[in-house]
Amino acid sequence: MPLVTAENLVKEYDGLTAVDGVSFTIEEGQIFGFLGPNGAGKSTTISMLSTYLPPTSGDAVIDGLSVTGKANSVRSIIGVVPQDIALYPTLTAIQNLRFYGKMYNMGGEPLERRCQELLELVELWDRRDSRVDQFSGGMKRRINMAAGLLHHPRFLLLDEPTVGVDPQSREHIFETILKIRDSGTTILYTSHYMEEVELLCDYIAIMDRGKLIASGTLKELLSVLGEGGVIEFEIAPPECSKQLEADISRQHGVTSVKHQDGKLVIFSENSAHSLPPVLKVLEETSCEVIHLEIFSPNLEKLFIHLTGKELRE
Amino acid sequence: MSQFRKLRQIAGKDLLVIGKDRGSWIVLLLTPILIIMVASFALGPAFSGELKSKLLYANLDGSAIGNQLVDSLSSMEGLELVEGTEAECEALAVGDTKYKTCMLIPAGFSSKVLTGSNTGLQVYVDPTDNSSRPFMVGMVDGAASRLSGMVNSIKISIVEVMKYAPDAEPITVASDAAQTAVEQMNQDPPVSIEMTNAGAAADVNMFDTQAPGYSVMFLLFGVMLGAEGLLEERDKGTLGRLLVAPVAKSAILGGKLAAQFLIALVQMTILFGVGHFVFGMHLGNSIPALILMIVVTAFTATSFGILLASLVKTRRQATSIGTLVIILMSALGGSWWPLTIEPEFMQKLGHLTINAWALDGLNALILEGAKMQQILVDAAVLFLYGCVCFLIGIKMFKFRNA
Repeated sequence: MPLVTAENLVKEYDGLTAVDGVSFTIEEGQIFGFLGPNGAGKSTTISMLSTYLPPTSGDAVIDGLSVTGKANSVRSIIGVVPQDIALYPTLTAIQNLRFYGKMYNMGGEPLERRCQELLELVELWDRRDSRVDQFSGGMKRRINMAAGLLHHPRFLLLDEPTVGVDPQSREHIFETILKIRDSGTTILYTSHYMEEVELLCDYIAIMDRGKLIASGTLKELLSVLGEGGVIEFEIAPPECSKQLEADISRQHGVTSVKHQDGKLVIFSENSAHSLPPVLKVLEETSCEVIHLEIFSPNLEKLFIHLTGKELRE
Repeated sequence: MSQFRKLRQIAGKDLLVIGKDRGSWIVLLLTPILIIMVASFALGPAFSGELKSKLLYANLDGSAIGNQLVDSLSSMEGLELVEGTEAECEALAVGDTKYKTCMLIPAGFSSKVLTGSNTGLQVYVDPTDNSSRPFMVGMVDGAASRLSGMVNSIKISIVEVMKYAPDAEPITVASDAAQTAVEQMNQDPPVSIEMTNAGAAADVNMFDTQAPGYSVMFLLFGVMLGAEGLLEERDKGTLGRLLVAPVAKSAILGGKLAAQFLIALVQMTILFGVGHFVFGMHLGNSIPALILMIVVTAFTATSFGILLASLVKTRRQATSIGTLVIILMSALGGSWWPLTIEPEFMQKLGHLTINAWALDGLNALILEGAKMQQILVDAAVLFLYGCVCFLIGIKMFKFRNA
């Protein structure tokens, strides 16, 4: 039984379609990853699920409550950690948490206890009385996350929670997210960092230009690329890669060939078997191989395979 | 009930945030206090009537009529006579003295007045001074006219006396008549203008004239900061975070406006309190009426703040457009100088501003000692003004960035 069902969500701004008919389901207790480059429509989708923006058409149901019809009830069961540090910088960590807790009808001893639990979870209990503007970027991100968890939400929406943080804080945030998942909270996690989504998410949806272009578990998604790996050539002069595309794609075991910034990215059933005939094609031309690399299948290469462009573009 | 509690909590949070922001308090309190002090010391005397123009004079005649002319000018409001010499008068004509105008009463002035020949009364003016010349010359001219009127009366009297007492010596009659006329001039004139200063105005303090205007102006700057704060919350995502929590939009906006209103009230109260207790500013004869004006002014200013936040797209626009509008409203509305010195059409234009209506009421209370019923119209118009701004503001405010 899915906790979240989105059906044909569309959001248009001034004639521009930011989200174009996106549908998906999220199972309870799952970390659902939304992967896509900046501007793909991830944040807009989150904004519709969180009731911040009304969809132009379509709907989403969270725990049986429609985001369009029961927005107020939805707000009580979801937690939102926005991409911005949505905290009051001149207030202390605990003052921020107390304030947001009160907005969820919390108060008194239960609120104080919850603030302590969360500050301990994000390892900032000893800094509870420090002003937020005295914190590092990573510490602010951790408080920002704690503020979304005060009311024990059933569904937590995390929008790029690691943007601009140092590696140590990022690790800490990952640990916290896994602890939250283990406590039974269902999580929607958006990122444009492939490694984060591969590491954290049970189920992944890839967005590009407002559309959902693939979804599944990591294994299911990578199976599209086959198990043979990806061969990447950097060739000079750059025009060569275009000339060779047709010849290489006819070689045995090669499933597809894409251009990427003057590079040739070759997807094959087995890179060890496909490499010799590809090299032979190259020898027969005046093109020079500058760099050759073989990768295991990953989400970055899958995105190139699906869209012909890099994830970080 | 729950939403009202949240409204109070949002207001409490905003007060806490502002309370910790020293920069805001500098704009809200320290800057206005300093500006009011400077303006009061610099301009207060000009508007409160304490500043007098100095008229140098040299009386070479020394007779009763010459002295009467000097006394007549001395009694005029806004004029201070300083006795000097003929040489000082002549030096003034080449701009060589600290005085701007000098009146020279020549020797034989009285007898020439009585015989009707040219008296030779002279007024020397500083050739570089264009500002006070009309006033000073007008003053002397006015006094001379009164004197001329008196002389004409004497002449008529002599003619009449000679009809009934043809043996009388005309010069004796003229002398007696002149003596009587001088005595009469020292008493109240038959027709005069009486200046009535009600209540507090009898001893207007320089802060009385300056503090209300600058307080209203800085009140508006204070709510401009509030508008910027609201837009900052929208930009930084804290407003968005409240929108995805179970909080009604009315509670969010209500909380923020309540905090802004309280800040405006505290600001006005502190400015008037400092003015009164530190600088001796008068608070008028009706404290309840003053409280009413302060409350209504704070409400209208707060409404102006939400209107500003709803009409601009960015914080930068709020600052630039807000500053421009507040400066214009302050200039037009009488925050910097009394509206009464402006032409009539400017006074009417000025009443499109919050400042003019607020200052009509506040000045009436502080400078004229008005009572509650005399400021009710000002308070009602100001309140209506605030309601219109408030309704347009909350209707047009965008909680989300475009």
